[in-house]
Amino acid sequence: MGKDNGETKHNGMTRRDFVKISTTVAAALGGAAALTLPSRAQAADTQTAPASKKFLIVDQKKCAGCMSCMLACSMVHEGSSNLSSARIQIIDDSFAEFPNDVEIAVCRQCADPACYYACPLQDKALCIDPKTGVRYINKKECIGCRKCIEACHFTPSRISFNLKHKVALKCDMCQDTPFWKQTGKQACVEVCPQNAIKFTSEQPCGHKEYNVNMRGQGWAKLGLPTD
Amino acid sequence: MYLCTGKILRVNLTTRKISTLSTSDYKEWLGGHGLAVALFFDLVKAKSVGAFDPGNTLVIAPSYFSGSLVPAACRTEMVGIQAQSYPYEWFTRTNVGGRFANMCKYAGFDAIVLEGAAEKPTWINIVDSDVELVDATNLWGLDTVDTQKVIFKNVIGSAGYGKWRATKKGETIQRPAVLTIGPAGENRSRLGTVMTDMGNAFGQGGFGGVWGSKNLKAISVLGTGSVEVANPDELMQARIWAEKNYGADVDNPRINAWQEFITSHFGGHPNRGWAPYDQQRRASGCTGCHLNCRPRTSSGYGNESICVDALYYQNWDLSKHGKITEITGYAADLAQRLGINSFELHTELAYLKALYDKGVLGRGMKIDTDLPFEKIGEAEFIQQLLTQIAYRKGIGNDIAEGIPRAAQRWGRYREDTESGIMAAMFWGYPVHYDTRAEVYWGYASIVGARDINCHDFNVPAYWMPSLDIPAKKTPIVTAEQVAKWVGEMPPYHDPEMMNFATSNIYSVHMARTTAWLLHYSTFWKQTCGLCDNAFADFVNPYGPNNRGITPEGELKFFKAATGRKISFEESLEMGRKMHNLSKAIWTLQGRHRDMEVFPDYVFSVDTEGTSYVPGEPPSYYMPTKENGKWDYRNVVPRHLDRKKFEEWKTRYYELEGWDPKTGWQKEKVLKDLGLDKAASELKATGKLK
Repeated sequence: MGKDNGETKHNGMTRRDFVKISTTVAAALGGAAALTLPSRAQAADTQTAPASKKFLIVDQKKCAGCMSCMLACSMVHEGSSNLSSARIQIIDDSFAEFPNDVEIAVCRQCADPACYYACPLQDKALCIDPKTGVRYINKKECIGCRKCIEACHFTPSRISFNLKHKVALKCDMCQDTPFWKQTGKQACVEVCPQNAIKFTSEQPCGHKEYNVNMRGQGWAKLGLPTD
Repeated sequence: MYLCTGKILRVNLTTRKISTLSTSDYKEWLGGHGLAVALFFDLVKAKSVGAFDPGNTLVIAPSYFSGSLVPAACRTEMVGIQAQSYPYEWFTRTNVGGRFANMCKYAGFDAIVLEGAAEKPTWINIVDSDVELVDATNLWGLDTVDTQKVIFKNVIGSAGYGKWRATKKGETIQRPAVLTIGPAGENRSRLGTVMTDMGNAFGQGGFGGVWGSKNLKAISVLGTGSVEVANPDELMQARIWAEKNYGADVDNPRINAWQEFITSHFGGHPNRGWAPYDQQRRASGCTGCHLNCRPRTSSGYGNESICVDALYYQNWDLSKHGKITEITGYAADLAQRLGINSFELHTELAYLKALYDKGVLGRGMKIDTDLPFEKIGEAEFIQQLLTQIAYRKGIGNDIAEGIPRAAQRWGRYREDTESGIMAAMFWGYPVHYDTRAEVYWGYASIVGARDINCHDFNVPAYWMPSLDIPAKKTPIVTAEQVAKWVGEMPPYHDPEMMNFATSNIYSVHMARTTAWLLHYSTFWKQTCGLCDNAFADFVNPYGPNNRGITPEGELKFFKAATGRKISFEESLEMGRKMHNLSKAIWTLQGRHRDMEVFPDYVFSVDTEGTSYVPGEPPSYYMPTKENGKWDYRNVVPRHLDRKKFEEWKTRYYELEGWDPKTGWQKEKVLKDLGLDKAASELKATGKLK
């Protein structure tokens, strides 16, 4: 579907509409919905977005909430440190109990990229790299309509918005880092002092495969939990 | 200007006038302490004003490096006339981590100047350069946590935390960073802290009480702005280089005895040992940090409290229960919530218990109190004590003035400073590292205005040998090597700076140790903002040959972030300049060399050191050179010689270019440093040589 003339509408319904309606119906009907509606995997198959070969996986319990990843992300992409421009977001609550005190909100390079489907300038503004499958935003083409932000499956949306320049900002797996010469690596992975963010070329499946346990014997030696 | 927003916020709480100054007028002072002390000097005409006088002006300044990717640099400095020091209220500095420094810059300001006093409780709401003075009547009386929660809700609105929402200039999912006082500050306690998030405090200086006197409850900052650096690629490479070559390997840690205790070096381990009562805990970091020293626990007790905040009640808990329980975390939280200085509590508890044991303090005693000392170690005792301090009930009303002033009220000051049971050591601050052993710590404190709290030499000079040797381990770096590395440092190039043998502790070498510590810390830590928990870094088990990142790391970060290449010697010279400006303020407040003395017990009672290994006698191992041979040796029992200490002072003043008779500065020195305004002001008061 991603390739059919850049159009997202089919039979008067956008992909985003389809996903949202499916989700709503599923929520209303509970488990029974799965019997009457196509699964997300089946739906993705019918839309045929090429798969990404680059992903970030994280360990929510290992993360220190230090936001170094955010500072690095915005710096390599924008040339300055700015929490709002970071394509990865940390939600950190000093008053909460472990492990509910930190959440890493990272783009999943979804197999089912709702942002891509929602973009009115698909393959011009929100694109899929033909070699790596990475879903990225071409800022020069982005018209700032926010449809990708609204379409994202997650809260908060993994796509942020630069209010000044009226463009959406999204994780591109550091394929285009105008302010960082090193290539082939991800700024957040390189900078994270806890080794709580890793790169993988294997498509994670579901929440558990994006959120993994990276805490081994070394972590235990520090007196920190590995379970 | 890289690393700066270009604007300084100036708030007059009396007139409610809000204005701005241009940071470019203060370019040479960079940020953090340098900027703050320069602003204070220029804006405060009557520098001898009292701490609680509305004329006391406070300057809050995010560090120069904050907001960028420089590691361990999200520190905020505050200066002003303090309430804590005894017997004089000296001008001083205090510092806090957390998120505030970065967020303040993202909100558009390089510093916040607070003048006057509000007529009624007030908080300041700053969102992307928009500043509003808000009625804080509904916040007055709330603890620091509840205050922050109310402000979060007020600023974030109905969207809730973790969801995108727009300000006038950008969009964010982040919460504001809030500085706030608790009930202790509201009641003008000299132990009052200013807190941010759960466990980060402007702890020393009693500035919580100063805020209370100004009717200032909180400052909230939320910003979507940026911090520019000269060379993003270079800074990114420097950060990665530092982490890979000097940072801890958290998946394959190298643990030595001293690292079980202390993280005061660049390769420190995340959350070493804090909150041991909870095995399910996170290592948590201030913004942009690579160390992540703070805990978060599954109960929430003890969140973000480290060091003395975390352990001030621990030994009492341990004695009572045979193990460290969650009560230790409860006590940490209670002090943070009420906004009470834990460091003072740590020593104060021992002092109060000693008076109780002597039969001087207790129910029906001369110092009458209903505090249940039989329950010390229990939650009930600490809850009652802290509540009495925060709300000035019972003897809490005396203790809220700080222990030296309380002892004065109780008629015990002289006796208890002669015996040393009241362990106030420098300007009424509690003993930290004992100046009778680790002399430079006390020297730097007494020629300054507070417990110096700079751990630069503290790992190689104390923790490493003092933990390893009693544990029958060999320190990873020899005493001779430590002396050699420190001896490579400009401007003194003097290995004898690390010789803590009794024969050397009053020498010019120890004057250099003290001056180096002050100049380095003023520039790199208090101005640029490198955290004391990571810098200076001389010994580091992750560095090549166990050598730390200092000075190469500091210089790399400075060059990448600012585009300016400076030498390490130049950096120390800038630190010297900034320190001299503080010294000018102290002199204008009335400082004379005769005032710079320790309490009597320092000159008459031996320190014994500490026993960290069961069965081993107390000790204090430090690098020493005896008969031409370097080694780590036990330097205690020891006390200082009063006459020789006075000789040391003369050597130190001469090293700084100050007049040895008065301790005052000389005109030429100040003018050579470019401190002409300070020279003029001192000259006008007859305090310039």
